[in-house]
Amino acid sequence: MASANIQAPNDQPEPADFKPRNNPAFILHGKLSTSFGELPVPSVGPDEVLVEVKKTGICGSDVHFYNTGKMGLVSCTGDMCLGHESSGYIAQLGSNLAAMARKADSEKGSAKGPAKQVLRVGDKVTLEPGVTCRMCPDCRGGRYQICEHMAFAAYPPFDGTLQRYYKLPADLVYPLPDSVDLVYGAMMEPLSVAVHGIANVGKLRTSENVLIFGAGPVGLLAMGVAKGLGAGRIIAVDINQERLKFAKTYAATDIYTPIKQNADESRPDYSLRAAKDLLSSLGVPVRGPGSIDLVMDATGAEVCIQMGINAVRPGGVCVQTGFGPPDITIPMFRLTTDEIQLKGCWRYGPGDYPLAIDLVARGLVDLKPLLTHEFKFEDALEAFEVTKAGKSADGKTVIKAVISGPE
Amino acid sequence: MLSNNNPSLVLHGIGDLRIEDRPTPSVSAHEALVAVTKTGICGSDVHYLKHARIGHYVMEEPMCLGHESAGTVVQVGAAVKGLKTGDRVAMEPGVGCGTCDLCREGRYELCPAMSFAATPPSTLGTLARYYALPSHLLHPLPDNVSFEDGAMMEPLSVGVHSVKTLGRCSTNEVVIVFGAGPIGLLCMAVAKALGARRVIAVDIMQEKLDFALGYAATDVFLPPAKLADEGLEAYAARAVDELSKKLAVPEVGPGGIQLAIEASGAPSCVHMGCLALSPGGRYVQVGMGAQSSVPVPLFHIISRELQILGSFRYGPGAYQLAISLVERGLVDVKPLITQRYAFLDSGAAFEATKLGRDVDGKTVIKCIIDGPLAE
Repeated sequence: MASANIQAPNDQPEPADFKPRNNPAFILHGKLSTSFGELPVPSVGPDEVLVEVKKTGICGSDVHFYNTGKMGLVSCTGDMCLGHESSGYIAQLGSNLAAMARKADSEKGSAKGPAKQVLRVGDKVTLEPGVTCRMCPDCRGGRYQICEHMAFAAYPPFDGTLQRYYKLPADLVYPLPDSVDLVYGAMMEPLSVAVHGIANVGKLRTSENVLIFGAGPVGLLAMGVAKGLGAGRIIAVDINQERLKFAKTYAATDIYTPIKQNADESRPDYSLRAAKDLLSSLGVPVRGPGSIDLVMDATGAEVCIQMGINAVRPGGVCVQTGFGPPDITIPMFRLTTDEIQLKGCWRYGPGDYPLAIDLVARGLVDLKPLLTHEFKFEDALEAFEVTKAGKSADGKTVIKAVISGPE
Repeated sequence: MLSNNNPSLVLHGIGDLRIEDRPTPSVSAHEALVAVTKTGICGSDVHYLKHARIGHYVMEEPMCLGHESAGTVVQVGAAVKGLKTGDRVAMEPGVGCGTCDLCREGRYELCPAMSFAATPPSTLGTLARYYALPSHLLHPLPDNVSFEDGAMMEPLSVGVHSVKTLGRCSTNEVVIVFGAGPIGLLCMAVAKALGARRVIAVDIMQEKLDFALGYAATDVFLPPAKLADEGLEAYAARAVDELSKKLAVPEVGPGGIQLAIEASGAPSCVHMGCLALSPGGRYVQVGMGAQSSVPVPLFHIISRELQILGSFRYGPGAYQLAISLVERGLVDVKPLITQRYAFLDSGAAFEATKLGRDVDGKTVIKCIIDGPLAE
């Protein structure tokens, strides 16, 4: 909501004579049914930008929608363009933004620079594709990520970013430094999820020790963030040996493969035994110096969540990012008596994208090893199939597949 | 049916107040139009009357005054949900952009693009028949909260923001408030409502202290007169020493002062506030004085790890809590309303607030002016 007092000298977007090309889009019709179609090109409001999308990564949630037509409580009700992890170039500025750019240009060289970096046509940007209401107590209270009116790309009924053009309010696009390529700009979205979990909700501090369940893309990014923030030990847990080995080469200081559950052992008993085995086999004390300060679960698996609560030190924090069954059993007695905090973590909030971009720009997080597959726009379906399979035809494991925008 | 005129109290320059007709605002999709019923006057309104500026906020063109108001919704924009014509509301008169980093992280009171009633560069104010605001800034008044109470929600929210949000006042703490004017008194009321064990009021006027003691303070303190050749630091130390002895306030441990609210802006009070705090204490500066730079006891701040916080207007949750405190009877704002004026007598209201006394010699705490459509 721009202040009514700011009058644009000229209420035209820029370029005023913008002639969009066509707008091919990759559309989901329902379970396992996709096609390419044309969507209308949005017109930008005074405080919005139109981005020409160049790169879009695929997320497990996209694959889940493709595979099942739904995710959790949400179902696809009609055609929906997929994609939400994107970067691109600003194709058009809304009128207020155009006026700000002109004003900044005229003030160039003056001592007092603009408070926030001014957006310009042609800027290379990453997208935060969730539009919130700005008016509810959650938005005004600093937690827009749980706004009940969130309109999120590729979350029914909202179209996603696998199209040529996508529009967003200006504060939801972030300029990328020259040193960060577009393809890594598309990874800022999942990286911001990791930043939100580790830095914001988890409040990881330098030299703290963190335990991460799940060495898929989110878990790996969380390990990268933990390393970039100066964590002490970063312990990765997975049942997949290949993923664990990769985690060790990437950012984990230690890896752990859980022991097997016994035939007549209850799951809670098993989780407790496995947590103890994890700590003892890695020489991690249950409390005091060297113990686990922060746990992140990026699996959604009940057994992992239980293990995490059992492994964290008294007074420690468990951050829940992974989706799994909607209702699970947790070791409540331990949670209570050791004052463990179990915190839900949803997408990203204030400050997460800027921190994510900073970590990459300063070389504190390396995204290169996670980019395993790239596809042309017309091969989007193949990209989904390969991500779903977990491996491409040549046997290469998928971590992150990125699809280019339409030519 | 909206009236076809909008009488407004407009400041044209220093001392030049005029009642004139202004266009009735139209409402956009997310806004609502309010017929203003009651408006309180603030020291800042008087400051604009006297100086046409406050700090870097400079009046460049005629400006309608008033920002502490309540009223009735008379029109809602097409997209407004949950609010309807006839609803009684307290008005939160500051529109932030909602999209900058500060708004998004929950500090909207600091938004650089804030558009605030009766504050340049806005030329609009609530001392008019009608005022438009985004609907989420119109806070419904419960049935047992009057329009006058509603107008007091603005300064009460300043008190909530200072004492609760920033001051983190909690039950059983000992709180000291410097300045027993309207803001100081409301801060005392909030501290009391939040369960403070002691609320100590400090002022240089015995009359104000007497009122504070009957209102929300548990203790009052009149600082000694400053000696002619006494430096500020020595004076403040002497005053705090006397306070501690007179009111049996320990320097550390249970019963020590954990929260100091400075609502006067006076340099000596700023100094006293820091000196009076126990180790780890919180100091909140809400009072704006004439001095923009004041001495502080730096060694004290360091060695006791005091937290010095600036407090500006109000942020998330303040109006909601203010309304709740009044609805539940935990805060009573009625005793602070000392004078009432018809809209056409607005000038007298400003004069009385400026002098601190009305034409009958009665002390002013808060003057309330009827809207032009008063019931």
